Amino acid sequence: MPHGDHLHVTGLTKTFGRRRPVHAVRDLTFEVASGRVTGFLGPNGSGKTTTLRCLLGLVTPTSGATSIGATPYRSLHHPLHVVGAALEASGFHPARSARNHLRIIAASGHIPDSRVDEVLGIVGLADAAGRRVGGYSLGMRQRLALAAALLGDPGVLILDEPANGLDPEGIAWLRSFLRNLAAEGRTILVSSHVLSEVQQTVDDVVVITHGRLVHVGPLHALTAAAEVRVRTPQRDALMAALADKCTARVADHDALTITGLTPAEVGAIAFRAAIELHELSAMTSDLEEAFLALTSTTNHGGAA
Amino acid sequence: MIAMLKAEWRKASSTKVMWGLVVAAILFACLNVSLLILLRPSAARDLPSGALLTNADYITNIVGSAGSSAFFALILGIIGMTAEYRHLTITATFLASPRRSPALVAKAVLYLLIGAVMGAITFAVSFALAIILLASKEHAPIDGSQALQILGGVVLGYAIYAVLGVALGALVRVQVAAVIGALAFTLIAEPLLGLFFDWAGRWLPGGALRAVLQATSASGRGSTADLLPVWGGALVLIAYAVLFGVLASATTLRRDVT
Repeated sequence: MPHGDHLHVTGLTKTFGRRRPVHAVRDLTFEVASGRVTGFLGPNGSGKTTTLRCLLGLVTPTSGATSIGATPYRSLHHPLHVVGAALEASGFHPARSARNHLRIIAASGHIPDSRVDEVLGIVGLADAAGRRVGGYSLGMRQRLALAAALLGDPGVLILDEPANGLDPEGIAWLRSFLRNLAAEGRTILVSSHVLSEVQQTVDDVVVITHGRLVHVGPLHALTAAAEVRVRTPQRDALMAALADKCTARVADHDALTITGLTPAEVGAIAFRAAIELHELSAMTSDLEEAFLALTSTTNHGGAA
Repeated sequence: MIAMLKAEWRKASSTKVMWGLVVAAILFACLNVSLLILLRPSAARDLPSGALLTNADYITNIVGSAGSSAFFALILGIIGMTAEYRHLTITATFLASPRRSPALVAKAVLYLLIGAVMGAITFAVSFALAIILLASKEHAPIDGSQALQILGGVVLGYAIYAVLGVALGALVRVQVAAVIGALAFTLIAEPLLGLFFDWAGRWLPGGALRAVLQATSASGRGSTADLLPVWGGALVLIAYAVLFGVLASATTLRRDVT
């Protein structure tokens, strides 16, 4: 059973263009663990694809480094046996059949041809394998890209927006498929710009926006970042007591909305400051709201 | 390297481009043979009827018709390389071979072989047609050893031209630009320069190719006096291919694949 290497992104910065430089990724550092599905999240143009392409040696970082285990991708001896990547649905010659597309990759990666039909079966393309890829739907191309990633039976899978173009049935299939691969000890990194698309699949999340890391950790910690609402007749006193510990903003003449602390922590601070509270509650914002709150900054200048 | 050659062969053979260009090369060589045998070049109007085909040089020229289709080998190499960028399959190529220069070398080696075979087939078919069309006519004998020499020149010329196409494609990357550039240079710029400068006919790719094929232009198509020897022409062509390939390795091949 192939065990996945951890992925390392260390101080990664990528700037495109010289005259009008676009900072696609800025000082990005995170790790991706094996045996888990990690969601790589951020709005369109936040630098996800650039980061993945740096990981795969396709894009040279301006500074910083990436590695698969301890090895940069470009130094891997048999890369297709270590990392499988599905980057976009358009990397196919339209006149080639799916089978021929995979046979080319198999040959270049020292992978036996019998594996081609295996992966075609796994992704459900066995019947369409002889057809020209030019006639494929977006969903079929996604499946073909996934088949290519699986060819070398790699311990690491890096998938860029794999759910794009899949029907609900396909998404459900992909979800259980990725969960099974992670359960085998593989490392799965899946990018998406829609949290809801992957929220039932991922264990961990790495969230970036404008090329910067805004959150990394287990999925459930995203909700912990939700807001706390507190009502008190001594609003300004409480605000002063909280001042350097979190972000508090005035919600009403007797209410504050607090981010960065749990309700228990807010309660403890109020108790120590002898401030009377009338209400203390966690705003049960859902994941999507937490995600949007994380990614909707006013900081501009990033791009894919 | 064997694995990469196998992958490159699968790339080349799984689309119709290669087969189409081989057929085109054969058709043009056959057209060349047919016209030379069935019609009479305007330059030869003054010769008495029948005198044309009894001229040994004219027969040599017919045998060497395959050389006139060498351009298709160049186009084949250009398309083989630039299709990777056009259809973004370069991503899969570099994922399997993250060290990029060896990937380019593998493609060049494969196209060297494909070009050689393409030249041999084109020569064989056009030669067979020449024998068939000449059978019913009085003609100077076909010199077997010279025909073999011509075959060697055609095989070598096609092979190096295909590699040159790969190297040029790697440098230019944009398919339309590379094809149009190659057409414009060999069909317009080089002949124009050749009108004014003697070195152009020797040292530019078209002139070097004619040197490699020079047995084929033993008569009719200009004198061979100002051309390099065969090995000289071959070296010049190889130098161009290596130059383009090294330039590409140092520049375009290193670029980010996005």
